[in-house]
Amino acid sequence: MRTTILATGIAAGALLIIGAAAPANAAEGDAQLSVLHAVPDVTVDVYVNDELTIDDFEPGSMGGPLALPAGTYSVAITASDAADASSPVIGPVDLALESGMNYTAVAHLGEDGTPTATLFTNDISTIAAGEGRLTVRHVAAAPAVDVLAGGTAVITGLTNPDEEILALPAGVVSASVAATGTTDPLIGPADVNVAEGVNTIAYAWGSLDDDNLALAVQTIEGLHSSPDSIPAGSAGLVATNKPFDATGIWVGASVLTLLVAAVAAVAVTRVKARA
Amino acid sequence: MVLVAALTCVLPLVGCGAPMASGPAVSAPTVTASPSATPSAVPPTAAVTVPVAGAGLDQQIPIAVAPVRIRIPAIGVDMSVQPEGLADTGAMALPPDPADAAWYRYGSWPGSAGGATVIAAHVDSLDYDIGPLARLPEVVAGTEMIVTTEEGREISYLVQAEGMVRKTDVDWPAVFDRSGPPRLTIVTCGGEFDYDRRTYLENVVVTALPQG
Repeated sequence: MRTTILATGIAAGALLIIGAAAPANAAEGDAQLSVLHAVPDVTVDVYVNDELTIDDFEPGSMGGPLALPAGTYSVAITASDAADASSPVIGPVDLALESGMNYTAVAHLGEDGTPTATLFTNDISTIAAGEGRLTVRHVAAAPAVDVLAGGTAVITGLTNPDEEILALPAGVVSASVAATGTTDPLIGPADVNVAEGVNTIAYAWGSLDDDNLALAVQTIEGLHSSPDSIPAGSAGLVATNKPFDATGIWVGASVLTLLVAAVAAVAVTRVKARA
Repeated sequence: MVLVAALTCVLPLVGCGAPMASGPAVSAPTVTASPSATPSAVPPTAAVTVPVAGAGLDQQIPIAVAPVRIRIPAIGVDMSVQPEGLADTGAMALPPDPADAAWYRYGSWPGSAGGATVIAAHVDSLDYDIGPLARLPEVVAGTEMIVTTEEGREISYLVQAEGMVRKTDVDWPAVFDRSGPPRLTIVTCGGEFDYDRRTYLENVVVTALPQG
């Protein structure tokens, strides 16, 4: 039963991979993996390929990023006092990590409150100058939600475990999360810095029934582009080739000499052609 | 002993959390059967240290603190600084008056954890005449530059020996680099002028590091 739910979750995560742009900063072929613990109230251990990798992992915290060679990793999440990975509370799940990609594996609640895990692919393509990327992921035990920025819905009908990605002018957004079709905040409003050239990933996590919905934030920097020049002068008043500068006159004279020579050469060629 | 051996094996599997340029090659991932150790009363401890941090709103990228004034006493520069982004052309936007400097508001800032704080100004203008940064090529290694932030903090920088460049072919992503040590980069124009395109052919780029 649990495996089925997990498989569904992973499949949904895998679907999200489609359409993700090629990575801008692939690091020597490794995949980057972060892990977010978004199951309220339980401290857990994370096992990768049956080896304890994160000990006493607290809810609302982020582990990594880990640089991992491409491949498939088995991840199991156990109670924090487990002796090994044999009795996981989530998983084991197989995470297929591709070279140069950036992932976040999230342990969270499904919409119905069942613990599950979803592997998200993070968009690390280059961001246009002046813009920030805001990724919103619904990993909470809650129905479909809208995300409001400054009171206006910018994402509607987002369901667990889906994500939506926005390109926004860089700046601070007053964000809140409401049940879809409503504006009464379930989370927030909170100031989210959609920083320029950064993928700011906001997770709505927790449980509506348990009244502990919250936002978690992950940031991936270094996706910016730069101005292509600084043209910082338009008058030539301090130019080293000012017309009244002897150097400039000498250059001008040289050009004139070359022109005269060229004209003479053309004339000679034409005479020869006629002959 | 069995347990110790198993934990040691995990090292090459998960690598190191910090990006490393060199180090032991990481083996291809394999799913190994966990040795069914005899039930132990003591839970295992992680064999590698994975960096773990909070993921609350307090972990966001900090809001930039803008510079508002730049002084280079040795060459008589004392300019106001205003935040600017991009011009329509894709170049960094600059105030029209060469007496006013611009800070690239999307990059690093004075006091930020790292990267280049870029401040630039026109060297001249037909409407406003020659600007203070016309004297920028006069700075030498050790010349002091003082930036005042909008919070009133003053940060002193010293020009570096290899921090003065005048060239036509500037590596702009390097100028606007947001990583590496905190530094101040002042940019204006200079050198020869193209009278047809009304633009200088070279940029003057001066880099300084925080003092002390």
